[in-house]
Amino acid sequence: MKIENAKAQMRKGVLEYCILLVLDGKPLYASDIIQGLKEAKMIVVEGTLYPLLTRLKNTGFLAYRWEESTQGPPRKYYELTDSGRKFLGELEESWSELVEAVAKVRNNNI
Amino acid sequence: MKKTFTINISGTVFHIEEDAYEVLQKYLINLKNHFGSSEEGKEILTDIEARIAEIFIEKAANDQRVVSIEMVNVAIEIMGTPEDFVDDEEKEEVYQPTEEAKRKRRLYRDPDHRVIGGVCGGLGAYFNMDPVILRIIFVVLLFATSGAGFLAYIILWIAVPKAKILHSGSK
Repeated sequence: MKIENAKAQMRKGVLEYCILLVLDGKPLYASDIIQGLKEAKMIVVEGTLYPLLTRLKNTGFLAYRWEESTQGPPRKYYELTDSGRKFLGELEESWSELVEAVAKVRNNNI
Repeated sequence: MKKTFTINISGTVFHIEEDAYEVLQKYLINLKNHFGSSEEGKEILTDIEARIAEIFIEKAANDQRVVSIEMVNVAIEIMGTPEDFVDDEEKEEVYQPTEEAKRKRRLYRDPDHRVIGGVCGGLGAYFNMDPVILRIIFVVLLFATSGAGFLAYIILWIAVPKAKILHSGSK
């Protein structure tokens, strides 16, 4: 197993969580979401995000509305739905559990 | 001087230079193949196209709306190619035959799909082709090479071992 592969796997696991985190509290356009994730080095190319957004929307965790744009076609602004917010809460919980568990294992040197 | 085409991306009209048009079209077809023609795939593609239109407008010099090859390359760099998505998404699902599996692939005659010696059936299984096509090729060769094709068949018949256990690929 190559390190790049392992990294990609880890990123993949938390990417959905990060998207929901970024969207928590404010509706955003795909480019805005990408900006935040790019700075955190979570994704490299924008194309990765669109399938995830569509999948999260089809699962019912996200909803979008159209907004006119001065620079081209109308934009889709995504926001969390109620079930999306609930899902995010669950993810946050399991994330902290995971971080704690890893920290414990690291410190104990089992 | 360059020839341009007029295209419509996401409701915005652009004039695109010929070389840029070819690159963009190839890229979009690639994406289409990657995401598939399901409702979801179509929606993803529409979103990506809208974003590309936006990038073009951003990058276009004043209000010309002329798309050059450089702009197409910039857009592709920002959006990424299907290979980049696979990198991020499902690398572990891509099946790669191991060295061992490659070594084990050998040519056998296929006695269950034989017409004469099973050579074409075996070749078909080896190259993953319809044996009927190979048989037609052999028959054509037979006439075209006035006998050499027949000789080749006989040599293969003698040289290639008969398969004892058929792998799951052949029914």
